[in-house]
Amino acid sequence: MSKPYRLSRGARSEFIGRHFGVLSISVVFAALFIFFSARADAFLTAENLVNVARQIAPTVVVAMGMTYVITTGAIDLSVGSIVGLTASALAILAKTGNPVLALVLTLLIGAAIGAINGALTAYGRLQSFIVTLAALTAIRGVALLITQGYSTPIESSFLLPLGNGKLLGLYTPTWIAIAIVVIAWYVFTRTRFGRYVTAVGSNAESLRRSGVDIRRIQMAVLIITGVLAAGAGIITATRLASGSSNSGTMFELEVITAVVLGGTSLMGGRGSILGSAIGALTLGIISNGLVLLRVDVYWVPIVQGIILIVAIFLNSKLFGRLVRSRR
Amino acid sequence: MSTSTQPAAATIAESPPRVEMRGIRKSYGALDVLRGVDLTIAPGEVIGLVGDNGAGKSTLMKMLAGAETPDRGEILVDGEAMTGSGPRAARAHGIEMVYQDLALCDHLDVTANLFLGREKFNSLTRRLDTDRMHDEAADELRKLHIRITNTRQEVGNMSGGQRQAIAIARAVTFDPKVLVLDEPTAALAAKEVEMVLQLIKDVSARGVSVVLITHRLQDLFEVADRFVVLYEGTIHQELDPAKTDLSGLVTAMMGK
Repeated sequence: MSKPYRLSRGARSEFIGRHFGVLSISVVFAALFIFFSARADAFLTAENLVNVARQIAPTVVVAMGMTYVITTGAIDLSVGSIVGLTASALAILAKTGNPVLALVLTLLIGAAIGAINGALTAYGRLQSFIVTLAALTAIRGVALLITQGYSTPIESSFLLPLGNGKLLGLYTPTWIAIAIVVIAWYVFTRTRFGRYVTAVGSNAESLRRSGVDIRRIQMAVLIITGVLAAGAGIITATRLASGSSNSGTMFELEVITAVVLGGTSLMGGRGSILGSAIGALTLGIISNGLVLLRVDVYWVPIVQGIILIVAIFLNSKLFGRLVRSRR
Repeated sequence: MSTSTQPAAATIAESPPRVEMRGIRKSYGALDVLRGVDLTIAPGEVIGLVGDNGAGKSTLMKMLAGAETPDRGEILVDGEAMTGSGPRAARAHGIEMVYQDLALCDHLDVTANLFLGREKFNSLTRRLDTDRMHDEAADELRKLHIRITNTRQEVGNMSGGQRQAIAIARAVTFDPKVLVLDEPTAALAAKEVEMVLQLIKDVSARGVSVVLITHRLQDLFEVADRFVVLYEGTIHQELDPAKTDLSGLVTAMMGK
């Protein structure tokens, strides 16, 4: 018999360590929520909160895909441009008179762009940062080219409820976002695919030696994000009843901020779906709350940037210390 | 010392070989790394493969594990020639190698690492059967006398010895015929070295042949049935641990 090798670590510190990102963003969210409720009368009203939940829906939706991408250790900078292209494409395609086909084709455009990003990254072995940076530029160009910079109105009574419909007090975009979060959470935490996403970011070589084709995983996460970005384009266009090629400018940065705020590591291997959702909501209440406080609107990105730095600092420093102390 | 070129333990040598490597040659450009190596491994035997840096130990074992292809020579497992190439083909022939760099995913828990690539899940809901995998993982660790009480712990937070034990346990769950370990005790605390060496004995007692590459020669005396000394790409000597001491082994490694 070998000497027993015992391991005694607190299950509680293990839990805190693994969910530190979610816990810290939840605290930040709660603090901001209380602050805005106390300072801005209009903040804590059903109408306002329902509106915030609708405004932030596209960010939440794409943040789900981005969590997968970043957890594999990659990044997708093209999502904002995909929103612009698909918002325009939906409006143009809807004019042909078949809104269902327009919807399907728009989602397929997102999937196709994701597939190109994924093929170049996974099979072409190019860095996702470079590939999607090129896509960011090129796809925005395509959107401007096909629209010549003009917005295209959407009049389809089938499509408009996607952005403006209301069910049980919440707008359709909010319901879409909730559904996507639930599905993304299930797949990420409960299925083999979700586990492989984490494994690719943690130690891709180990996964490859286990007989898994890691390139398929790397490509799949970028396709998923492309489709979700198209979804965000659809939500944005139908809410405004118009598809604009300028939709989604700087959107990729907001999404990445939300994901990183939620505790997902840019180094890969550690991601949190719930954290990303709360991170997006936090960005939502910051811009909403500051507007209600009549703060100059130009302060919004400044405050978001500062919050990001503080959150990252807390995550890396405190989390690093927590892990070290448990070694 | 110089007379002991035949396999040491006569009883082991008489049973049919598990692995036979014949006339293995490999060169990288002008550099001949392996110059005709013959090596047989008996079932359940623990071989200490030693030699100076660049003697060809790792290259030889990577060939067995399918990570390298020999220029010449053949590899037989249980009398059958190894077909195909790559780690998958080697695994199909019952060869597992645990690499020095510890092929574990730090962010996954013990069970997830043990089952990586072989997850059990419900085919309808795609939901991972985590409870069952945790139970089986705990069982497997218990069989190998590895006391890890919480299989839900992330391996990134564990000690080097525990991680090495998990990496070996993972290889053993593939039910290999031969297990190749590359520097399993490097950078471990003394107590942890003991644990890993005991694990190697347990694995070989199951009938699994073990090839151990290590620079910690004192470890070999504890577990090895036979020393195979490589020198400049050839087998220089095969020594019996019972009839060899540390200085004898070091002398052989220097090609004398």
